Amino acid sequence: MNRITASCRITNRGVFVDGQLLKPFSGDDPVENLGAAYKGLALDYPKFYKMDLLAKAAFLGVEILKSNCPDLAGDADDDPAMLFANSESSSDTDLKFEESYGNNGLPSPSLFVYTLPNIAMGEVAIRNKWYGSQMFAVFPNFAPAYYADQARLLSDEGAKKWICGWIDVREKLDVLLFALDDAMLHEPELVTGIQHLYDN
Amino acid sequence: MASETLKNELKGHIIEQLNLEDIKKEDFVDEAPLFGEGGVGLDSIDALELIVLLEKHYHINVTNPEEGKVVFYSIDSMADYIEKHRK
Amino acid sequence: MGQEVYVGAEVIVSPLGESASTNFKAVLAGNSGIRLHREAGWKGSDVHISRFESAEAGSFRAILKRILTALVEGWDARLLASPDTLVMLSSTKGDLPGDIRNPFQGPLTELVAGYTLANPPMVISNACISGVLAINCAARMVKAGHYRHVVVLGCDVVSDFVLYGFQSLYAVSEGPCRPFDLDRSGVSLGEGGGAVVVSSEMSAFRQRPARFLAGADANDANHISGPSRTGEGLVRAVSAAIRKSAIPKSEIGFINAHGTGTKFNDEMEAIAFDRMGLEATPLNSSKGYWGHTLGAAGVIETAACLQSLRNGIVPASKGFENPGTSKNLHILTKNTAPESGTFLKTASGFGGGNAALIIQSL
Repeated sequence: MNRITASCRITNRGVFVDGQLLKPFSGDDPVENLGAAYKGLALDYPKFYKMDLLAKAAFLGVEILKSNCPDLAGDADDDPAMLFANSESSSDTDLKFEESYGNNGLPSPSLFVYTLPNIAMGEVAIRNKWYGSQMFAVFPNFAPAYYADQARLLSDEGAKKWICGWIDVREKLDVLLFALDDAMLHEPELVTGIQHLYDN
Repeated sequence: MASETLKNELKGHIIEQLNLEDIKKEDFVDEAPLFGEGGVGLDSIDALELIVLLEKHYHINVTNPEEGKVVFYSIDSMADYIEKHRK
Repeated sequence: MGQEVYVGAEVIVSPLGESASTNFKAVLAGNSGIRLHREAGWKGSDVHISRFESAEAGSFRAILKRILTALVEGWDARLLASPDTLVMLSSTKGDLPGDIRNPFQGPLTELVAGYTLANPPMVISNACISGVLAINCAARMVKAGHYRHVVVLGCDVVSDFVLYGFQSLYAVSEGPCRPFDLDRSGVSLGEGGGAVVVSSEMSAFRQRPARFLAGADANDANHISGPSRTGEGLVRAVSAAIRKSAIPKSEIGFINAHGTGTKFNDEMEAIAFDRMGLEATPLNSSKGYWGHTLGAAGVIETAACLQSLRNGIVPASKGFENPGTSKNLHILTKNTAPESGTFLKTASGFGGGNAALIIQSL
């Protein structure tokens, strides 16, 4: 099988790259953990601290994929496309925004702009100047067929590379980023392969 | 001129309200522009968040974001505005 | 040419009516759902919004039910339960007032049980471009034979959450919104929903459907909430849609733009359409009638365009009087017969997304 060449899993246990533990997390606070992972990458991108958890998770996952797989973006101007999903939409930030205006507080504009799950992909697009197609879907559970199906459909229209993401962050970090290219799409075991990345 | 105490306090509020994790109070130059390239490089959403900051900590209402452009030019201009309008 | 993809059986449920045809009649008469709602906004401020008369009628679940009721009046209800059918929901915030932690699953579980859906519904939540994106995705799935029919539902409500948020961005219009006008000052939020059926089978439609030609989307890669100054993403999305449709751009009879009524969005769209040489194509925004219905907007507004094809008339762009963008567009100031039976629908939104689709009458 054409193996999926780049993947990054982030859970409360740590950051895993292609199944190998890159950085273990000591505590359970996702803000601290993602902050520590960011520091470990030694990037100069102060906007990171303004992002909500969804965007931080997506941003970190993609940065780690890039460092492991330099030709992630491909050559075409409209590649890569982004296919993201999760089970909780932007509810982590929705709760925080609701809290900002409750109890005589004031609605926070900088929280409100993150109350949409696709903003996480927008942050990745801005960072990398990726103009490609994007889609954010919400499923009750991890849905490997979504990535395989949608990537195949987009490939009929000319896309060649995809950055795929599952980003749940509210209760615990449950994050998977992986890259697909068109050589992998006709692999019959693709859906199983994607599920395997998630289970590992 | 606004007091150093007020400016110092204001810098703390700005860092907290805008999540400027890697910026310290010493990094602010009182008369330098807060927005745009260089300095602390704030953007349009930060400007709206500064309106919230003024209301929250100093009970000052800036109702027109256009007015904010003048008020939020620098730490100096913000502190002067607070001195004049705080209740 | 591959499989033909048809679009039809459109539904609109809004304060202007409970079907696409009643809504369209109201629109042609120049009516708007946008009213002054006293003390409805942040700190008891007065706001102009398009909202149902009662909170019950305006609940997410109630609107969704009425969309389905209207749908099965115009489309074979038995097909809803077929394994060949997928239901997609396009929404930004779902039933957030009902369950902020899980705004989609509750209403969808009801839908699956109520209509014995064979396939689990798919939720697209991609800010203001959700609706157009969902229809484009539906068309791809039908064309590739994943499903014979995809029912695309769009629905969003005007909650305190969304209203306070837009107010905190100073993005809410003083009066009813005025897309593309010189005196525009922001959006008017609206609630409601709509549906279109995307299908490979013409016979499934009670009334003649239209043909889906192409769809595409692209990102500005510029700012999460501020529109691009160059219209880059919109230019890319529309150019790709036109290229895939294989029609010359001169064949586009009218454009239903996003046109929210904010200074920067409408300016961005004007720049983009001008860059593409579409400045002379008749264009309108629907936001003056339904307000900005967020995740429902792309579905409601595409449904309205399908009504334009059926009735041979394109509504005036309500709220527009004087040009107010740096590039002039051909904005319709009265209801006008379309120059052809092909339309372009666009949407742009937070996160930098832009989506476009092209549909043609049969």
